[in-house]
Amino acid sequence: MANPQDTALIEVRGLKKYFPITQGIIFQRKVADVKAVDGLNFAIKKGETLGLVGESGCGKSTTGRAILQLYRPTAGEVIFQGKDLVKLQGEELRKMRRNMQMIFQDPYASLNPRMTVGDIIGEPLEVHNIAKGKEKKERVQELLKIVGLNPYFVNRYPHEFSGGQRQRIGVARALAVQPDFIVCDEPISALDVSIQAQIINLLEELQTKFNLTYLFIAHDLSVVRHISDRIAVMYLGKIVELTDRNALYNNPLHPYTKALLSAVPIPDPVVEEKRERIILVGDVPSPVRPPSGCHFHTRCPLVMDKCKKDDPEFRNAGAEHWVACHAV
Amino acid sequence: MKFSTLLRKMSKSILFMVGFSLIVLIILTCATSSSWTQWSPTISKLTERLREPDWFANGGLAGHPLGTDPLGRDVLTRLLQGGWTSLQIAFIVTLISMSIGAFVGLITGYFGGVFDMIVMRICDVLMSIPNIMLALCVVAILGSSMFNLIFTLTAIGWVSTARIVRSVALKTKHQEFISASKVLGASTWRILWKEMFPNAITQLMIAASAYFGGTILVETNLSYLGMGVPVPQPSWGNMISDGRQYLAAAPWVVIAPGIALMLTVLAFNFMGDGIRDVFDPRNKN
Repeated sequence: MANPQDTALIEVRGLKKYFPITQGIIFQRKVADVKAVDGLNFAIKKGETLGLVGESGCGKSTTGRAILQLYRPTAGEVIFQGKDLVKLQGEELRKMRRNMQMIFQDPYASLNPRMTVGDIIGEPLEVHNIAKGKEKKERVQELLKIVGLNPYFVNRYPHEFSGGQRQRIGVARALAVQPDFIVCDEPISALDVSIQAQIINLLEELQTKFNLTYLFIAHDLSVVRHISDRIAVMYLGKIVELTDRNALYNNPLHPYTKALLSAVPIPDPVVEEKRERIILVGDVPSPVRPPSGCHFHTRCPLVMDKCKKDDPEFRNAGAEHWVACHAV
Repeated sequence: MKFSTLLRKMSKSILFMVGFSLIVLIILTCATSSSWTQWSPTISKLTERLREPDWFANGGLAGHPLGTDPLGRDVLTRLLQGGWTSLQIAFIVTLISMSIGAFVGLITGYFGGVFDMIVMRICDVLMSIPNIMLALCVVAILGSSMFNLIFTLTAIGWVSTARIVRSVALKTKHQEFISASKVLGASTWRILWKEMFPNAITQLMIAASAYFGGTILVETNLSYLGMGVPVPQPSWGNMISDGRQYLAAAPWVVIAPGIALMLTVLAFNFMGDGIRDVFDPRNKN
């Protein structure tokens, strides 16, 4: 694999997003921070799918939103097409949005119930002055066809569709501006298992067709394994391991990754019987007061004294296998 | 929503159709009345005061189907002309206060912060004073004229609308379709106008129809107290006020505007309920 610096489409450096906790009714003062994302460094290569996994509340979605500047990051840089998105403001940022899009988790909440499908998919075309009137309608119908929906649906309202169909509308909306990069924020978590596969296949098809780059956020490890080229594992606001899909599943280095992977059932009764679960003790610590040193040390089976003091460096353990652990 | 769908849904809602037809009927009769009534609404004829309606068994004066008032003016003529005045005032007041209320509500709800807090406290103050009291004070200071009446009613009217629209804005602003719109690169104005406003339309229309009826009532109240439409120009309020001393001897002077007022307010409330069905895209009929 080539050096990620050469072909990186998007590069994240030291990304942090803290949400302030305030107190007081009229004069609000900050009492603490929720450290949702606490210093991320990674790059996404052109045309690849980077899977981002981790348990609920570890900051996966916040990462996706901070990259797209839906949440303005507290610190760090997001370099996209030679520009630092964090520094962009107003109109410049609005223009950049044409190149990066998002597919949302909940297909019921992400479509405006008062707008027709034509208006929803046509909105990005209007916003970026791509098409108007008849041209816009034609383009919307074409997009509906691309995502596998009937082009005659333009005048219908979102509530007339099933979850899977609605998610297809969401995909069509993201595709309308012909972006290079799409953040898929758990795009299948809210769907039936039978529909999940359809949406995954659609996303893969579109990737090859339009040469898209995905950041695929999910908590379903088997789905991430299927769709991703590389996978990043997050724990409490930090990436603990980042490597090639096969390397991660065959040779996980970080104890947290090992525990996560051991929780995946294997669809083969003989092998499944031999599966040994690594059960982590305790709960995820609060991101308001994350543990000192390595964030994982409170639950780590391999914990050493050093882990409690020093934050492990996120380093290359060979063959582009990045890991943040003192024990590796 | 397409216009044809809207029309189809309107025709299917009985409540809406009843209210709407009644309103159209009232407006048309009142608006055209000046051209076909034979009497003047303002010129008094003291020889013919308090005559019974002409269809009463014991007589009355021909050509006065609702009798005459204490100054000998035709009650029907005054009723229709007064209604037209009331409707015009109510329409202008409703339109202006709804526009201001929707605008303020969207902005405060979406942006929040200090601005929201200040505006909402102003609303609290305005709401804590009874409408009639406030209107009376303003009219007492500025004097009673049509413009002052409209100004006063508007100054009170936007508050409740702003509250309603603000609550819708607060509810929608954290929904994912707003995030989606931001990611698409939509400007703030676009988000307010194209994404949030349509979600508030139903509530706004219901509020408007209720407020329309309410405004006619407040206007009537003020006119009754002599602070509204200046005499001799008729309005339902000052008609009731003029006739109240003669309630026992000549009940028609009071009953006619009373029934007209009741029907109008009822029609607007019916229409308000009907609008909820009509504007809901989930309602397929």
